[in-house]
Amino acid sequence: MKVTLNWIGEFLSAERLEPENIASALTMSGTEVKKVEYMGDKYKDIVIGRVVDFSPHPDSDKLSLCEVDIGSSKLSIVCGAKNFKKEDRVAVALPGAKVKDITIRKNKIRGQISEGMMCSEMELGLSSESEGIMILDNSCEVGDSFSKSVGLDDVVLELEITPNRPDCLSVIGIAREISALIGAELITGEYDFQKRLNIDSKFKIEIDDYNLCPRYSAKLFRNIPNIQSPQWLKNRLILCDVRPIDLIVDLTNYVMLETGQPLHAFDKDMLYSNKIIVRRAGKGENIKTIDDSIRILDDDALVIADEDKAVAIAGIMGGKDTKISENTKNVLLESANFYGPSIMRTSKKIGLRSEASNRFEKKIDPMLTVFAIGKFEDLLEKVANFKTEECIYDNFKKVERERKINLRVGKVGQVLGKDIDAGLISGILTNLKISNRIKDNSIEATVPSFRYEDLEREIDLVEEVARIYGYDRLDSIPTSTRDRRGKYSLYQKTIKDIRQALCDIGLVEVINYSFISAESLKKFKINLEDGYKNNVEILNPINEDFKLLRPMLLPALMKNIKDNINHNIKDIGIFEISKVFKKNSSGKLPFEINMLGVMLTGKAAQKGWDEKERAFDFYDLKGILEFICKRYYPYGSLRIKERQYRFFHPRTSGIVNIEDLDVGIIGKIHPVIIEETETGQDAYYMELDMDKFINNIKETQKYKFVPAFPSIDIDLAIVVDNKIKSEDIVNEIKENGTELLKKIRLFDIYRGEQIEKDKKSMAYSLSFRDDTRTLKDIEIEIIINRILESLGKKFNARIRE
Amino acid sequence: MQRSEISKQEAKILFRDNTYKIMSKKEKNIDQLEKKIKTELDNFTRELETVKNLIELDKIRTKYIGKKSFLIKTLKNIGDLPDDIKPIAGKKSNTARNKIESDILKKEKIFKNIEYKNKLRKESIDLSLPGRSTGTGRKNIISQVVEEIEEIFIGMGFEIAEGPEVETDYYNFEALNTPRDHPARSLHDTFFISENILLRTHTSPVQIRYMESHKPPLLIIVPGKVYRRDYDVSHTPMFTQIEGLVIDKGINFGNLKWTLETFAHEIFGKDRKVRFRPHYFPFTEPSAEVDVSCNICGGKGCRVCSGSGWLEILGAGMVDPNLYSFVGYNPEEVSGFAFGMGIERICMLRYGIDDLRLFFENDLRFINQF
Ligand SMILES: [Zn+2]
Repeated sequence: MKVTLNWIGEFLSAERLEPENIASALTMSGTEVKKVEYMGDKYKDIVIGRVVDFSPHPDSDKLSLCEVDIGSSKLSIVCGAKNFKKEDRVAVALPGAKVKDITIRKNKIRGQISEGMMCSEMELGLSSESEGIMILDNSCEVGDSFSKSVGLDDVVLELEITPNRPDCLSVIGIAREISALIGAELITGEYDFQKRLNIDSKFKIEIDDYNLCPRYSAKLFRNIPNIQSPQWLKNRLILCDVRPIDLIVDLTNYVMLETGQPLHAFDKDMLYSNKIIVRRAGKGENIKTIDDSIRILDDDALVIADEDKAVAIAGIMGGKDTKISENTKNVLLESANFYGPSIMRTSKKIGLRSEASNRFEKKIDPMLTVFAIGKFEDLLEKVANFKTEECIYDNFKKVERERKINLRVGKVGQVLGKDIDAGLISGILTNLKISNRIKDNSIEATVPSFRYEDLEREIDLVEEVARIYGYDRLDSIPTSTRDRRGKYSLYQKTIKDIRQALCDIGLVEVINYSFISAESLKKFKINLEDGYKNNVEILNPINEDFKLLRPMLLPALMKNIKDNINHNIKDIGIFEISKVFKKNSSGKLPFEINMLGVMLTGKAAQKGWDEKERAFDFYDLKGILEFICKRYYPYGSLRIKERQYRFFHPRTSGIVNIEDLDVGIIGKIHPVIIEETETGQDAYYMELDMDKFINNIKETQKYKFVPAFPSIDIDLAIVVDNKIKSEDIVNEIKENGTELLKKIRLFDIYRGEQIEKDKKSMAYSLSFRDDTRTLKDIEIEIIINRILESLGKKFNARIRE
Repeated sequence: MQRSEISKQEAKILFRDNTYKIMSKKEKNIDQLEKKIKTELDNFTRELETVKNLIELDKIRTKYIGKKSFLIKTLKNIGDLPDDIKPIAGKKSNTARNKIESDILKKEKIFKNIEYKNKLRKESIDLSLPGRSTGTGRKNIISQVVEEIEEIFIGMGFEIAEGPEVETDYYNFEALNTPRDHPARSLHDTFFISENILLRTHTSPVQIRYMESHKPPLLIIVPGKVYRRDYDVSHTPMFTQIEGLVIDKGINFGNLKWTLETFAHEIFGKDRKVRFRPHYFPFTEPSAEVDVSCNICGGKGCRVCSGSGWLEILGAGMVDPNLYSFVGYNPEEVSGFAFGMGIERICMLRYGIDDLRLFFENDLRFINQF
C-alpha cells in the first residue's frame, strides 16, 4: 500500500514529518516501509510556464515554435503537440530536468533552438497514455515549481501491511500508528451523523443475513455536478497507484484510501426501485460487472440487488448497468460492511480481487461506514462546492465492538524477558488509543472498535507493548538448554554420510522439483510398472508439467543429464536424495519414501596423457552400489536379481537385494528411451529406498579376531560356457570351499584365441585361513580338487592350463 | 662346511709352524700377533684411501675381513690357541676387525650417497603434467547450507525433526491458528491434493506433530521442502525451509533474540548487525522479522537491500499460546519460540545469486561453483 506524507500530515498535529524518521519508526513497529520516494526530486527543474505565443516550425508541419514565459525569463521551445493555446499554463522541463529517465538539454531541433520541453501527462508519469501536452489550471503561478503547484511535492511511502491490521489499510490508520510512535496528536474530525442520520421511508435497505452484511449505509446525492476531479486529487490518487476516472469514482477511491472504508457509487436512476437488497446470489445467477465480463455466481456469493436483479457483487465489484457514466445525475453512495471470509471466498472463486475486496477480507470496522460517507460529503463540498441536506440510510445489527482485556504487568516481563513499568505500559496503550487504567498489578484495557478484530487476548496486548516499546530495547538472553544434547539421529547421520560419500567418489548432487507430468511418466513407461501406477495428483497444478508428485526420481535425473549434455557437458555422474510419493487410500496422506537416485552417462575416464578413455558402464554403477553397501553392511550380502523394467535395457535390468531385502532397482536406460528423449548417449541408473536401506542396517557389529595366522591364497582359472553366471560359480565354490574359504575375488575374464569359441575363462583368487593354526598345503589341495570336481560336474568347467 | 674345516687347519698350521714353535714364550707369541695385526691395519688403511668405488670397497672388505682374511681366520681358530693367549688374541683381533668394519661402512655410505645422487638425477619427471583425475563430486549448495545450519543449531543443543511433505489442512493451517477463512491463508497459495490434503506451505506443521509426541523441554529444527503455487524469478513452486522450535519453562523473547543473533553471526559473520522488527504470523505472538545488515553497502543502502541497508533472513516469534491448546500443553506453565527461514534466500544473500530458479535447474556449471 502507498500513502503520501502530506496526506498523513493532514491528520497529525506535528509540524513537520521527517520522512526517514517516520519510515524507520513505522518499520521498527511492524509496518514495514518498503520504499521511500521523494516526488519533489523526481520533478526537479520542472516549472510552470505560460505560453506567450507560438508559430509553425519553418521546416516541419508537425512542430511549433513556442515562446514560453517561466517567470524569470522567456524560453524558446520546439513542441510537437497541438493541443494548447496562448496563455495556457504548461509544465516546462528545463535543461537538467529528468523526464522518463532522459535528461533534458538545450538543443536544436531541425535548426531551431529549443530551451526545454513542454511535458505531457505520460512524460510526467501521471498516466499511461496522453494526447498532447498537459494543460494546467490557470491559477498555477508562472515560474513555480510544477510539483508544488499540483500537489506532487510529496513523499510516497510504500508500506507492507500485515493481514492482522486492516485498520492500517488507510491514511488515517497509518497516521494513528505514527501518532502513537512520535507522540503527535491525531486529528480525524468527527462526523456529526446524529444530525443527518434519519430513517427515510422512501428508501429501504433490506439485509437478508446480518452475519454476511453487518451494516449497510447509503446516501443519495441528487444533481451531482458533472466536473473533473481537481489535479491535486488526481495526483494523490496517482501517487497511490489509483487511476483517476471521474469525479465520483475518484472521490470514492480517495475516501477509501483515506479511511479504509470501500465505497461504491450507483447511478440511482439505473436502479429498478427505491429498495436495495443485500442477499445471497441464486445458484448460477449472473451479473455483468463494470469490466464488461459476465460473472456467474455461486449461491454463497453475496450480492447487492434491486428488486429486479443483482447490481453488484458485494464488496468486490459493481455491475455494469448501474455504473456511473457521463450522464449520471443522481448517485446512490454505498458504504457497507461485509463479512470478510465470505468476500474472500467469492473473490477467490471468481478470480477477482480489488482494493475493496482486499480490505473486506481482512475484516474492517463497521463503525467506519457513516464516517466514510461524511468524508465523501466533505470532499464533495470542498472540490465542487456541493452541499446536500439528504439523510443517510443506515441498516445494521447492533453488535458489541468494545472489548475489555486484563493485562498482567508480570506477564509482559515473562514473555519479553524484561520487566516494563506499569506506567510505561499504560502510556503505550493510551497512545494506541486503547483506553486503560492500572489496577493492582494489572492493566484493565478497553480495545476500541477499530482494533476489535486483532486484539482479543492478553498476549495481543503484550505484543502491542513490545512493538511500540521497541524490540531493539529488549535484552538478548542466552537459553539454558538444560539436559538437552543436540545430535543427528542415526537415520539423519546416515543420509548425510551417504551424501558425502557419493560426492567424495565424484558424483554431483542435484535437487529437482517433486512434480512430474503424466506425459513424462508415459514417456518412460513408468506408468505401466507395478508400484508406480497410483500417483498423487495435484488438484490445482501450475501447469501440466507439474501435475503429479513423482513416484520415482528417474525422469528428473534423465532431464538433468540431457540439459547438461545440451550445454556440452557430456560426462556426468549425478545423484539425488529426495522423497517420492505413492497414493494411499482415499483421505489418507500419501506414502512418502526417501529415495536415492544415481545416474551415470558418458565417460568414466577421459583420455589423458597416460590414461585410456573409458565409457561408464553397468559395473561402474554397481561399483557405487557396492561401495555404499559395504559401508553399512560390511558382511552383508548384495545381489542383483534379474527383473525386467520397461525403462531399462531388457538384459541389463534388475532388483537390488541386500540381506534378502529388495531395496531398489538398477539397470541401463532402455535404448528406445535414450532415443526418444534425444539424450544421445547411454545412461545407467539405480534407485535405492533409503528408508529400507537404513532401517535394515544391523546395530553395532561385534568385534572379530584380527587373523593371527597367515592365509593361503590360490588362483584358480576355469573355462566355462559363456552363459554361465559368475554368481553361480561363486556360490558353487563357496559350497565346496569349507569354512576355511574366507574370500573369493574374480580377477580376470578372458575370451579369445587361446580357448574355444562360446567359452570364457574365469579367474578367481581364493583365500583360505584358519584362525587357530597355520594351514597345510595338502589340506587346501584336497579342497581345491573337490571344488574343481563339482564345478566340472555342474558347469562342465575345466581348469585352464 | 668343508671350507671352514680347511681354514681351521690352516690356522693351526699358521700358529704351529711360524709362531708357536719358534717362540715358546707367551709374550713373544702375543707380540708376534700384535705385529701382524698392526701390519694388516696399516695395509688396510693405506688401501682404503685408494678405493674409488663400491666394487673396489667390496674387494677390500673380502681381503681384510672376508672369510679367508687373516683376522677372521685368527678369530675362528682362537679356540686352538693356548688358554693364556686366548683372551688377549681374541680382544686384539676383534678390535682390529671392528675398526676395519666401521671404516668400510663409513666409506660405503659416502659412495652410496654419490651413487644415489647420480641415479636420482637421471629420474626427473615433468611436474607440470596434470595429475590423474579422481572425479569432481559436489554437494548441492542447498544441502551444504542446510547441513551448515543444522550443525550450528546442534551445537546449541537442538535436535532435527522431520515430517511429511504432503500434509493435512489441520497441521498446515488449522492447528497453526490459521482457520479456513483466515486472511493469512491468501499469503500461501496452496497446492491441494484433496479438500483436506495439501502440499505443506511451510515446515511449521512439524512443530505441531513434534509437540503432540514430545513433552517440553524441546529444541528442534526442521529442515525440508515446502511448496507454494508461485513461479517467477523470485518464486519457485518448491523451495527449502528450516523451521525451529524451542519450548521450556520460562522461555522468553530475550532467548529468541539471543538464539537468532547467535545463529545470524555464525552464518553471516560476527561483524554483521542483526535487528528484530515486529511482524505478523498467525502462530506466533509477538512475532518478528529478523534482518542482518547489508554486507554489500555496509548498511548505507544499495540495490541488493533495496536501499534499506538491511536484508531480511528470518521470521520468528513467541509461540502463540493458542497452539498449546492443540497439543495439550499448559500455556501458563511453558512458553517457547519458533522461527523459520528460506534456505535458497540465505544462499542468494551469501553468494549473490539473483534468480531463484537456478537452484532447481541443476546446471552442473552452477552446482559446481559452490
Ligand atoms: Zn545494501
